[in-house]
Amino acid sequence: MSEALDLTLREQAAAIAAGEVDPGELLESTLARIEARNPAINAIVETFPERSREMLAQAPAGPLHGVPVVVKDEWPLPWRAQRFGAADMLATPEPGESGPYRALRDAGAVIVGVGNMHELGAGSTGNVSVYGPAGNPWNPERCPGGSSSGPAAAVAARLVAGAVGADGVGSIRYPAAYCGLTGLKPTFGRAAMEGHHMAGVSTTIVSGPLCADAADARLLGSALYGEELRQGDANGLRIGVIRNEVSEDVAPAVREACEAAIEDLRRETGGKIREIELPELPAATLATVLIANSESLGAVTPERLNRLDPGLSPLGRGLLKYRLLLPAVATVKSHQVRTIARRTLAAVFADVDVIAWPTVPAVAPPLEAPLVELPSGTLTADQANVRGGALANLTGIPAISVPVGTSEGLPVGLQLQAAWGRDDLLLNAAEALERANGRRWVEAVPPLAENEPTEA
Amino acid sequence: MEASHNADEFIPAALAAYGVEADEIELAVMRVAHETFWPPILELLELDTSAVAPEPAPDLSQAPPSR
Repeated sequence: MSEALDLTLREQAAAIAAGEVDPGELLESTLARIEARNPAINAIVETFPERSREMLAQAPAGPLHGVPVVVKDEWPLPWRAQRFGAADMLATPEPGESGPYRALRDAGAVIVGVGNMHELGAGSTGNVSVYGPAGNPWNPERCPGGSSSGPAAAVAARLVAGAVGADGVGSIRYPAAYCGLTGLKPTFGRAAMEGHHMAGVSTTIVSGPLCADAADARLLGSALYGEELRQGDANGLRIGVIRNEVSEDVAPAVREACEAAIEDLRRETGGKIREIELPELPAATLATVLIANSESLGAVTPERLNRLDPGLSPLGRGLLKYRLLLPAVATVKSHQVRTIARRTLAAVFADVDVIAWPTVPAVAPPLEAPLVELPSGTLTADQANVRGGALANLTGIPAISVPVGTSEGLPVGLQLQAAWGRDDLLLNAAEALERANGRRWVEAVPPLAENEPTEA
Repeated sequence: MEASHNADEFIPAALAAYGVEADEIELAVMRVAHETFWPPILELLELDTSAVAPEPAPDLSQAPPSR
């Protein structure tokens, strides 16, 4: 059964549909692998074998029939309330049928566990969580990225072939880059969002797939979208590149890998590279952070802040209280920056099909001290990562992170962003890039997943 | 008057105005957050956006309507 565990998501689905793999055996083997590998990375914070077996017993003949998947601790399940990676999330979570749960259930998938996440979704590293930090399968002492830390680490460690994350300010793409995965942030509003404690309030958060490659992201994404993300080509792709801190203030090895990948993509698609300008980008980054943080203030009262659960990290407590001090005028201006940025992007996408830049400017930093060395100096990973991740959340456009190399034995990710509703084009472009590099990076396996101690 | 981002003055005063308590570690976290966010917030406040035509009830799943 070890071979089935290492198949892609679509291969597992096809093998089950063809009767070549027994889904019951696959489920038990998956649970055994989680038991064997997860302690090294703390990617999965809870399994519920009986619930998973029930889900399988009732699974319809959908496109993911019998395929084990993981969901982030941001989504309620009928038998488990989300904790948002935190001892106190201000809201009172309750079990329920979230949109991603329904989408997975209706597609026939089997949820085998809940993935760890950065506390309150408030970090790009995954090193702070009520469950303890998650580790990166490429090096468990390095950050897996956040806030969808556990789903990414679980897929990279080949515990499962697909996982559902959430992305409010880059939270699918950062861990995809750190863990060497393909992570899709859908166009705002396209993927299942019901049941999220910020649904109807947040204008930045979306659910999305984390998988090894684009074809798997297409399959899992189609379930979350409730519609097929059709395969096509990216011929003649017009690739926009930018010359500012997002592309320039980047670790040299990351920059080199991303520039090579952009050229590979151009060559493979017979496309063109065009330099673009986004003068609003720095303001847009701050605007995203301010909007995302202010949208969660509805549950905040001074009295509530004075009785935060002591289990919340000092970082989480301090940041929650600091949100109260953000000036309203800055949030108002942030919405105006959003308007400007959306108009600028609409004009840019008349000239280019995708915008490409490094997903994150440096490879995964140490869990103990998540700092990154950039040409401009030392920054916290959060400060550095948000520069490239925020724009898509602010404006609603889709974005994808694809693996394009390694540095220091750790993955490098390239981000592609497209116009609203062109999620399919991002997947087509990602597949073109996979062809261009011989699928070298999507098939790369981290050390943790190379040796199998035991199998069921 | 020149803008200031002196966290030692601003944070305790603002928290006191709201009646919110904070221990030393939380204050230290807030100081770092303030030093990170306040300078760009001041820059943002300098931005005169009065001429920006509003996008009423923006639909973030779509491109903005052409004007």
